[in-house]
Amino acid sequence: MPIHLFIAILTFYLMLFGAGAQASLKLPETVKVDPAALTTEPMCDPKISSAWREAQEIEGIKIEASPGCSPDNPAWIAAAVKGTNRISMETLMKTGLSPDAIIKTDDLDGDGDPDRIIIKLEIMELNGKSPDFPGLLPTFDIAPGVQPGAWVFAPKTSGMSTENFESVRANPLLRLPSPVIRVEVGDIVQIVLENTHYFPHSIHLHGVDHPFSHKDHGGNDGVPQTSERELMPGERRIYEFQARQPGTMFYHCHVQTHTHLAMGLGGMIVVEENKPNNWLQTLNIGAGHVRHPSVAVKEQFDQEYDLHYHAMDKELTEIVQKYNDPRLIARDMNQRYDATDSTEDYYTLNGLSFPYTLRESLIVVEPDQKIKLRLLNSGGELIAIHTHGHHATITHYDGVEHNPVAQIMRDVFDMAPAQRLDLKLETVNDGKHSYGEGDWLIHDHREKGITTNGMAEGGSMSSIVYTSYLDDSGLPKVSHFGIDLSNFFTKEYYERRYPIWQDLDETASLGSPAGQLGVNAATQTSLLNALYGLLIGLFVYLVFAKREQIKQSAVAAVSRLKSPKGSNQ
Amino acid sequence: MAKTTTITFLLVGILTFSASAIAQQQTKPSEHDQHDHSGHDMSQDQHDHSGHDMSQGQHDHSGHSMSKDSGAATNHENEHGAVTDHGHDHAIDHSAHDTHATEHGDLQHHHHMDHDHLMDHEGTMIMGQNLDKLPSSCKSISQEVEITVRAGRKYAAKFPGTAFAFDQQQWHVKPCSKVTFHFVNEDNIRHQFMMHGLPKYLYKYGMFHLEVTGPKTVSGTIIVPGSDDTFLVHCDISHHMEKGMKAQLVVGKGGENIPSIPGVTPYNVNDTYEAENLPKVSDKAEQNAVVKQITAFTNNNLQNYGMMLIGVLIGLLSIPLFKKILFRKKSD
Repeated sequence: MPIHLFIAILTFYLMLFGAGAQASLKLPETVKVDPAALTTEPMCDPKISSAWREAQEIEGIKIEASPGCSPDNPAWIAAAVKGTNRISMETLMKTGLSPDAIIKTDDLDGDGDPDRIIIKLEIMELNGKSPDFPGLLPTFDIAPGVQPGAWVFAPKTSGMSTENFESVRANPLLRLPSPVIRVEVGDIVQIVLENTHYFPHSIHLHGVDHPFSHKDHGGNDGVPQTSERELMPGERRIYEFQARQPGTMFYHCHVQTHTHLAMGLGGMIVVEENKPNNWLQTLNIGAGHVRHPSVAVKEQFDQEYDLHYHAMDKELTEIVQKYNDPRLIARDMNQRYDATDSTEDYYTLNGLSFPYTLRESLIVVEPDQKIKLRLLNSGGELIAIHTHGHHATITHYDGVEHNPVAQIMRDVFDMAPAQRLDLKLETVNDGKHSYGEGDWLIHDHREKGITTNGMAEGGSMSSIVYTSYLDDSGLPKVSHFGIDLSNFFTKEYYERRYPIWQDLDETASLGSPAGQLGVNAATQTSLLNALYGLLIGLFVYLVFAKREQIKQSAVAAVSRLKSPKGSNQ
Repeated sequence: MAKTTTITFLLVGILTFSASAIAQQQTKPSEHDQHDHSGHDMSQDQHDHSGHDMSQGQHDHSGHSMSKDSGAATNHENEHGAVTDHGHDHAIDHSAHDTHATEHGDLQHHHHMDHDHLMDHEGTMIMGQNLDKLPSSCKSISQEVEITVRAGRKYAAKFPGTAFAFDQQQWHVKPCSKVTFHFVNEDNIRHQFMMHGLPKYLYKYGMFHLEVTGPKTVSGTIIVPGSDDTFLVHCDISHHMEKGMKAQLVVGKGGENIPSIPGVTPYNVNDTYEAENLPKVSDKAEQNAVVKQITAFTNNNLQNYGMMLIGVLIGLLSIPLFKKILFRKKSD
């Protein structure tokens, strides 16, 4: 009986050994991710009407065409140009803005445009924690499935903070980045901050000509250490100025700036030259294409784009997703978060990362155009914006015009934190200004700038696209090169679950290997060792149990050997 | 065309005036007159009909709200499909106000007139108000109640870990009550009194919604259903509900409680708290203790040295004794 057992185990061991040898001959198969298993989003957001792209006139306001796939809501532009106090209720209802969001009155200098401007801003949290369910609220994706906690200055809205009661997606007015503000030299501007957030905040007008202290409203510089106390939740403060100089400037919260700015509380503010009949688009919500440029810009340029570059640290943005209690959020942000240990993880252009930048931050151009680009870096590190296929001219640094004869052309634009650059992009095909038509990338050339949470393709990259390279949906035409961008429009890509090179060839040579079938090498070895032990044990037992038999047979064998010998002798 | 221009001009005029009114936070009597002449008598009528001032204390603004409201309705046109009985509602609205249309002189807008959504130039809003439509479960109105709801940061003080709150977290009414809410926003920002879960055949999306930028009051009325139920009340501005501005309206014996209402129901998802190493006054006492120890340490040293000295002396004195013992041993 024990002999049988012994033989059976020996056979099993040999089989296992054989199988192991077989497995080491062939590596695991490649497993391809089935596209049907991915949550593919439409490349172009279907919620945005394509009619919004067309050149149109609303309430007498001319709105330029914007052929990208997610253009601004034309009603927003009409409201921003005329003021929410001057448009019909019908248009206002299409904006979602509060009727007192942008109030324009009094043509003080008699040049045909309003000069008293009141802009009301609220502060909204995106992708924060809820005590009711494990998800985030209200959600705003900077890339598919990527939802960093963020705070923004938002134009004063009306109604719900989500799309509707069933949805957790943020109302389109509540988004990154904080809106671009446009005012004119000489305008009496009041930025009214209504602090709807649960933390104290302020507004600092970086670069904008503003009095340190205002006779009616007090401290006006937004700095809690020098000019004013923090504006507490539920309170309102007026920042008033009458700028004497034009330029591309910057506004941001100056309370705990190292965290509040990174969380998203910063935007571009442009002071335009004072011109007659200069009806400005007071807010460019979501930045990007300026569809109603100022008189001065129209005189010199064919198009204008606001490009707001920003960066966020994942560890910081997660604090508002970790706790609901404001005291705990304050503790982690103010006392525990170490800004010197921080690393930036999300790089955005106009609040979004690739591939969403393709939806709304393309620079769509025609040959032989002059385009004004206004760039702001509100991130914490130096960036280096590279324009493929083009050299652009730097006309202004930090809102101040550079000596025209000394202006230089570059193809990499380095920008310190808070820096602004005005560029003149000329699409003249002369091998210097432009190398010709195409879908030319524009990206931060620090390589991490094209990543989202450290993974490419993402970050703040976008394109300078000639209309001949734009498809009907408003996205860059790439399919004729055999390029398929649809995999970027899945959350699985940014969850790092999609082998990004699996579709480069038929055999998926760089796809994902399958896991080891059955037992893996390590378990196999230990199993074999256990078997060895078992075998040895059994053998020893066998020897012990049958020791008499063995002895006898040994004696018998020896005697048998001896006896013939003996007989021989 | 000329008509539209005139209307636009009128609207712009009114709104410009109202804008400067906000900017200056005061109104001049002369401008009041001007406003009264602007021909929005109809809106005033409507107000009388509804019986509730939208903006108490600033009733000159009511005119704007109505004129604006006429435009507001376009929004709802798209929602016809969503609300089954919309046609019915619409019919009622029309029959009630058709007479005013001519006075308003704005037929185009009036077509979309919708009582469900009233808004003034400051964004003060009443949505889903119901003054006279009885829920199917009610034979008559059981009682008329007025409830004043105060909202503001200061009411969050009694609930540590919140930022905004209503003054009360629940209100009780009898089934079939006609309830008028006076929503008093005491902050200098927007707040909302938004109620959900009401019967959809009477309330669009089952919602009743008051919204106002404070400090100001807005009032609105609903008729609650005839069965016991509990309705969510909250402010939907980003993270106001999450940070405390949440309550419930209990009709009769009520239904299931709404979670995470400060002081009423527990949170579904709780934060974890840990003891902090915060500076305390007693720390200073401890510090003094340390100082004492240091001084005590030196004192101890003195004591030690003293003892050592004594030891040395004893040692010295006992040398002859040792000598004697040793020598005796040697001599042995």
